[in-house]
Amino acid sequence: MALGRFLLKRVLQGILVVWGVITVVFALRFVTPGSPINAIAPLDASQETRQAIAEELGLDQPLYVQYANYLFDLLRGDMGFSYIKGQEAAGLVFQKLPATLELAVAATVVAIVLSIPLGVLSATRRNEPVDYGATLFSLGGISTPNFWLGIMLVLVFSVQLNVFKTSGRGVGFEDVVASVFTGDPFLDTLITWLSFITLPAITLGTYFTALITRLTRSGMLDQLGQSYVRAARAKGLPETLVRYKHALRNTLIPVITVLGLQMGTLIGGAVITEAVFAWPGLGTLVIQSINLRDWPTLQGSLIVIGAGFVVVNILVDALYAYVNPQVVYD
Amino acid sequence: MVLDRILATLRNAVSISPRVKRNLQREFARSALAKLGLVLVVAILLVAIFAPFFAPHDPTEQRLNQSQLPPLGFSKTVETTSSEFVDGEITLVNETTTVAAKPEFPLGTDSLGRDMLSRVIYGARTSLLVGIMGTLLAALVGVPVGLLAGYHRGKVDDTLMRIADVSLAFPSLVLAIALIGLWGRAAVPVPDPFVAAGFAGEMPATFVLPGTVIIVVGLVNWVWFARVARGEALSLREEEYVKAARALGARNNRIITRHVLPNAITPILVLGTIQIAAIILLESALSFLGFSGTTLSWGFDIAQGRDYITSGQWWISTVPGLAIVLAVVGINLLGDWLRDALDPGIEGEGGGP
Repeated sequence: MALGRFLLKRVLQGILVVWGVITVVFALRFVTPGSPINAIAPLDASQETRQAIAEELGLDQPLYVQYANYLFDLLRGDMGFSYIKGQEAAGLVFQKLPATLELAVAATVVAIVLSIPLGVLSATRRNEPVDYGATLFSLGGISTPNFWLGIMLVLVFSVQLNVFKTSGRGVGFEDVVASVFTGDPFLDTLITWLSFITLPAITLGTYFTALITRLTRSGMLDQLGQSYVRAARAKGLPETLVRYKHALRNTLIPVITVLGLQMGTLIGGAVITEAVFAWPGLGTLVIQSINLRDWPTLQGSLIVIGAGFVVVNILVDALYAYVNPQVVYD
Repeated sequence: MVLDRILATLRNAVSISPRVKRNLQREFARSALAKLGLVLVVAILLVAIFAPFFAPHDPTEQRLNQSQLPPLGFSKTVETTSSEFVDGEITLVNETTTVAAKPEFPLGTDSLGRDMLSRVIYGARTSLLVGIMGTLLAALVGVPVGLLAGYHRGKVDDTLMRIADVSLAFPSLVLAIALIGLWGRAAVPVPDPFVAAGFAGEMPATFVLPGTVIIVVGLVNWVWFARVARGEALSLREEEYVKAARALGARNNRIITRHVLPNAITPILVLGTIQIAAIILLESALSFLGFSGTTLSWGFDIAQGRDYITSGQWWISTVPGLAIVLAVVGINLLGDWLRDALDPGIEGEGGGP
């Protein structure tokens, strides 16, 4: 049961990290100039009004009491009330979360589907045109700011060719799934969904496609030179089996490690992609709540983003243990 | 006194051994991409440093009567239909106007008639300064912490790794916009040395350094340096020469600065190169979103031009983006060269945008 214990340990460590994230997010308000009261109270508010707001928000309490209250509220799923939006912060955050998840998953799918075959092809046809093309693409892909790529895609595909939508989300993926059952025109819903998500997904996914192509290529080259590959070929295994069962599987191990480390980049990239395409997700919410000094919403979004990173990394670790039987669970 | 010691440590740390020099030369001779990278980086460095001499115009000077001029070779005629009030009646007037590129503005002008070429040249300064200073700050924080943790292990190490985990859980871009948005966008005017010395008098006399941005990008990226330095220190502390130094009675701090750091410097340098590229991308994203102290930046110009892509002025966004791509490609190629020649065995690329 080594794997089970390993995962349990990772989950406990993850909880510790989430607690750290919450603490940092809580502390952020106290290292920031300006009181949160200023964002709520009218400019000419009397001292009594301000005092009343402070009491209402619990700001008159000692710091450790505020901290404990914040922790307990979070445990109950309460992120505080956004006076600026007039809504519960948790409601706002979880209402925006699906859009961001959808975008991130779409980008990851695009990246994995394109990059691993491209990397393998590039490694097995080394120094052929395909390899040069793939190398050039991956160099460009990791060097291009994704928001600029997004604008260029809009310029070509929307302004010139007028094929894709450039702003907003239209329908969610759940609507596409629902249309199968409700009898809505499935194909129309699917096309609408694709017309909105294609450009943002390519924008966000390109960096990862390029990165994984690079890693797969160099990993494959490394593995194909190993003696176990020579042994497998010598005993007459078909080349496809040698490549995809032996070499590729070992190549994926470092690829998965890097993917886990780069999850933060994916979420950061989602924030800016959302800004380019007016995608109604967490990133848009974060930027809005910073500009409006909407503390509960900002803090809640940051905690959800941090917790999401932790969860994804635990999943990556599990996948890693599955792909690599040699992993040492310590 | 203290400065002398820091300088001596640094000199000691980055002394290049003959073997390293040979590997670098061999890889450079072999790789065309390494040569391209070096050419790009040297060119951009020169342009950034001597910006007042390269820029044909003051990058901030507005010419409203010459706004939205296309780059050379992209002159075009536009047919506009407008309704006009002629003799008490509304009539439709078809007009054919030519928007001609002008040789004084080879890359065109933006919506306020500012010269794009000059803005791109000055933008290189912002990007490189933030990239280099941010990386130095990140290394200055991350390397000592990582070395201490890896060398001492135990509680120090555990604490550091948990802090690093928390730090990694915040995407650098999200943390950076939160910190800059909340702390303000400090802009530090620095006098341009060339203009101050009396050259290129028509150029801006000061150059705005986005102070908060530099501090924040350093603070959100230190953890990559800490991880790499820790990994090196963990393995180096078991080396014979470290044990020998300890047996001779050397103090830990001396062992770390004289023995561990110099032997850990290769992966740190390779990481540093990659980080400069990553921070340039991060800076451009920040200024694109409006979280920067300066308006003379590639990311800011892309954001400006974004409003004009639907009306045909594609170059305002395109040109600065190409500049970013060239700069980052150059630095990444240099990083690849160092990595292939020195083989430091670091995993990952270290926080992108």
